Amino acid sequence: MSLSDGDSDLFSSLFVFRGRASPLGEFAVSVAAAMLVIALWELAARAGIIAPQFLPSPSRVVVALWTMLTEQNLVWHVAVSTARVWIAFLLAAIMAIPIGIMMSSYRIVGAALEPMIDFIRYLPVPALVPLSIIWFGVGEETKIFLLWLGTFFQLVLLVADDMRRVPQEFVEVARTVGANSRQVMTDVALHWMGPTLLDNLRITLGWCWTYLIIAEIVAADSGIGYVIWTARRFVKTPEVMAGVVVIGLIGLVTDQLLRLLHRRLFRYL
Amino acid sequence: MTGYVQFVDTAKSFGPVNVVRKTSLGLERNSLVVFLGPSGCGKTTLMRMVGGLDEPSSGSILLGGEKVVRPDRRRGMVFQSYSSFPWLTVEKNIAFGMRYRKDLDAMQKAERIGHYLDLFGLADFAGSYPNRISGGMRQRVAIARTLAAGSDVLLMDEPFGALDALTRERLQVELRQIQIREEKTVIFVTHDVEEAVFLADRIILFSRRPASVVADIDVAAELGADRPLEIRETQKFFELRNKVLHLIRNETGVVV
Repeated sequence: MSLSDGDSDLFSSLFVFRGRASPLGEFAVSVAAAMLVIALWELAARAGIIAPQFLPSPSRVVVALWTMLTEQNLVWHVAVSTARVWIAFLLAAIMAIPIGIMMSSYRIVGAALEPMIDFIRYLPVPALVPLSIIWFGVGEETKIFLLWLGTFFQLVLLVADDMRRVPQEFVEVARTVGANSRQVMTDVALHWMGPTLLDNLRITLGWCWTYLIIAEIVAADSGIGYVIWTARRFVKTPEVMAGVVVIGLIGLVTDQLLRLLHRRLFRYL
Repeated sequence: MTGYVQFVDTAKSFGPVNVVRKTSLGLERNSLVVFLGPSGCGKTTLMRMVGGLDEPSSGSILLGGEKVVRPDRRRGMVFQSYSSFPWLTVEKNIAFGMRYRKDLDAMQKAERIGHYLDLFGLADFAGSYPNRISGGMRQRVAIARTLAAGSDVLLMDEPFGALDALTRERLQVELRQIQIREEKTVIFVTHDVEEAVFLADRIILFSRRPASVVADIDVAAELGADRPLEIRETQKFFELRNKVLHLIRNETGVVV
């Protein structure tokens, strides 16, 4: 069977250095690559190359996922984790955006905050679990705090960088038509930053999800992290894998939705 | 010293680096003055001080007898890059110039937008974003926005530097026509001698940094105010261009 002209057009640009975009072709390749990895994984598992307690086959993961959905209230755990991640992420964003903008706009704010933020940014979140328990106890606050901690300090520096990259020419054009500092900020800087800001929010939302397991092993009785951690204690590797796959799928869907929002909001790009 | 724009013993240093030597100069109203000099000589700094974007280290700058202390819409900037806002359509880019004007009502603003869209041949592209129009059109949008703002003085920092030769020529012709028709004072920074001679009523030639005036050439007296494109092929134009080139070589010791 040979490819028709249309099919060859669909794929030919994918082999060219910095070739033209081909959304349909790229989607087809993404699906095919994922299917190939799953098929190889299934074959390796079935052939006994890797012991099932280390890497169960995809089909066993799917069965485990179905059982978790129908018998173990997985949807509830997903909802709880999603709520925790989004609350922490929104808190981080609401704080990081104005602080990051101020850090780049007023040198005094940058000088006061940037060294501290750099210091905290390098601290591993797990190292702060004991402190967060002392401060907030073992309730929801600690979980939200740990997720916030992993997101805020990264995001604030990214926002500060976005603000720093607003072209001076735009700022000066605005000033020469009569804009004051606040108007430069709202009418020029925020518009210029918009696309990169949304990209950075998308990336840091992903980072927020990566801290979920750490947040949900602290005296938790709900959430995907709790499910994964509990399954690990009983070496239920298919359930562990199913939990990981669920997080990956949520990430994939969220990322695609945010990309779609990016395209809708910034049509001028 | 007289003039609409006056540099009064104006000097500028950035820390230990002396960028502009003490300069006194008067620029006539409704004239197109080109600041010419080698790259990095300080001519842009002088122009930015007129815009109120940089402050003189000593001396002052007067506009209509009034000291320049901060940027305002009477002095509009046009840059080579980032000239139009990418998130605004052509029409909204021009409207941005009047965004903070309280002395115009919505109808007057709309009339001005229409006027400048027509004047710059942008009416068919009013709803287009800057990434959908050519580099030359983007510069037209920037000039239109500055004029719509009501600027008396246009400060243009190598605005045609990134354009192809033909577009550049066309915009030079348009700029001269519009400057005369709209009765604006233009300070135009360039290091392109041919562009300087074609555009200028007057060329101020600067030395290497720290900038000081090495020649003040009355181009209008030699070429007149009317500058059709063909003037570039005349003997008078060649002679003047060569004279400026020689001055640059002799006075600044560099080839631009």
